[in-house]
Amino acid sequence: MRIGAIVRIVPDLVMGIEIEESEIVPFKYVPNERDEHALEEAVVFKEKTGGNLEVVGIVDDELRDDEAMEEALALAYAKGADSLKKIVLNRRTFDRREVARAIADHFKDYDVVMVGIQSIDSFAGYLGGILSGVLGYSYVGGVVGVDYDGGLIVQKELGGGVVGKFRVKTPAILGVVSAERPITFVPLVKLRQAMKEMKVEEIEVEVPDMGGIEVVRFYEPEKPEITLLEGDVEELADKLVEVFKSLSLV
Amino acid sequence: MILVFGEEFERDVTYELVALAKRLGDYKVVVSEDFDDIDGDVIRVERLNWKVVKELHDRFKPEGVLFANAPSGMDLAPKLAGITGIPMVTNVIKLENGDRFKATSLTYGGKVLVDLEVDKPSIFVVNRGYYDPNEGRGTPKVERLDLDFEDDVELIEVVKPEEDVDISKAEVVVSVGRGIGDESNIELAKELAELLNGVVAGSRPIIDQGWLPKSRQVGRSGKTVTGKVYIALGISGATEHVEGVKAKNVIAVNTDRDAPIFRIAKVGVVADVNELLPVLIEKLREIKS
Ligand SMILES: Cc1cc2nc3c(=O)[nH]c(=O)nc-3n(C[C@H](O)[C@H](O)[C@H](O)COP(=O)(O)OP(=O)(O)OC[C@H]3O[C@@H](n4cnc5c(N)ncnc54)[C@H](O)[C@@H]3O)c2cc1C
Repeated sequence: MRIGAIVRIVPDLVMGIEIEESEIVPFKYVPNERDEHALEEAVVFKEKTGGNLEVVGIVDDELRDDEAMEEALALAYAKGADSLKKIVLNRRTFDRREVARAIADHFKDYDVVMVGIQSIDSFAGYLGGILSGVLGYSYVGGVVGVDYDGGLIVQKELGGGVVGKFRVKTPAILGVVSAERPITFVPLVKLRQAMKEMKVEEIEVEVPDMGGIEVVRFYEPEKPEITLLEGDVEELADKLVEVFKSLSLV
Repeated sequence: MILVFGEEFERDVTYELVALAKRLGDYKVVVSEDFDDIDGDVIRVERLNWKVVKELHDRFKPEGVLFANAPSGMDLAPKLAGITGIPMVTNVIKLENGDRFKATSLTYGGKVLVDLEVDKPSIFVVNRGYYDPNEGRGTPKVERLDLDFEDDVELIEVVKPEEDVDISKAEVVVSVGRGIGDESNIELAKELAELLNGVVAGSRPIIDQGWLPKSRQVGRSGKTVTGKVYIALGISGATEHVEGVKAKNVIAVNTDRDAPIFRIAKVGVVADVNELLPVLIEKLREIKS
């Protein structure tokens, strides 16, 4: 079983972002949370099948050496990835159709590829689904578990807590929302060691210009008028008690 | 012409898509289940998979295709975009038709809106909650099409979740998010819930960590809370979370005064939840005793 997993980096919303009309300026990047789940599920699947796991980082040229990408790949290595690649996109694009076409040739040798169902900075496509269309592979998103009984059995969320089990033909791309187990924690020492030891094959690819989507402007959503309480914790607690009283909760 | 693909597993959002399509022009709605009150031309197929989507797309050559930001729409839309190469916009909350489409998408965890101009033909994945489903109801004109293509993905079993409490019906829900920091702090939320005669729930990361059972998840993939009060503690308010918040009064506590959760709150508290909770609990205990 040849298993692939995709990891990407996204702006860190905890550190904040600057919203300019023409672009979003992040202060810091972090591994994309849904890809972290995809990686975890790929590790689980490797354990279940004894397969070979290759983890592929996808990153814009200007961020090729970003710490967050290093961290994402080191985490993969520490968790047991057999090999690592970094695909560097020669041009920044928000359009996932363009990314999918740029990287497609490098995803032809896997039976199963796991990728986060979406990344928080996306508004023009979901990479996994589009890649499956380009390659002619099966695709399931909303994945929360993957098993193998000679064929692929995938658990997908259907909403409202309901899960569907699907038999999926390989080769397949799976858009993971959550791994079937909590993400395993990698201690800092192990992460640092992984950063030193890991070998990453770098591949540069051309991103085609497909056009068709033009950004007019980025902006912050309007904030409706609400009662916003700020200040000292004692005071806030008193005010909240009043709110609870007005709602007849106490 | 606008081609709408109904949502297989969550029927209600299909009406919202129809409500939007009506504003965009002529439309047809493709569904794989019986709907007897969709307004307009309805195409009933046996099952909805990417081969059916592709076939109907090629047959009708629509200027725009609508899917829901929901389990089947999120699978079929990108597949169609990958095969055809036509532009695709996700998280759409507003869409207008003209020489090009004008779309607005809610992104970056609900912190950013982006206005886009999109060439035709194109594909849109529309968030729920932005168009009135009642505008999509009316009298259907149903045509059955015998398009039964085998898929490479086959549903073999549907598994319903195990229930302990039904948070969707609880009047008071105290819900914790990643901002709670540590598993041990969930005890504080449980205590608050008890003092307010409510139940405790959580956002996805809390459930993914195994800190609360799946039955306690609020949001798209979990439950929709509809009671009197929803108290969100350290929850950012991502789209997928707030889709499940329909309580009458939302009270949110967050250190970030720009957190999207404040946009649906009646009362917002800018504070560290782990500092606030012990003090609040103490005061409520005093009142109770
Ligand atoms: C297909 C799909 C389905 C999904 N379904 C769901 C779903 O059903 N339910 C769901 O919840 N999510 C769902 N998600 C995930 C969703 O996109 C968000 O990732 C998730 O809701 C974030 O949870 P959170 O708000 O707890 O964490 P975060 O987004 O990390 O937010 C934590 C918040 O806590 C605040 N904070 C930090 N420290 C403190 C402190 N000390 N005191 C107070 N505040 C603090 C921060 O400012 C931040 O706003 C889904 C995602 C996908 C792609």
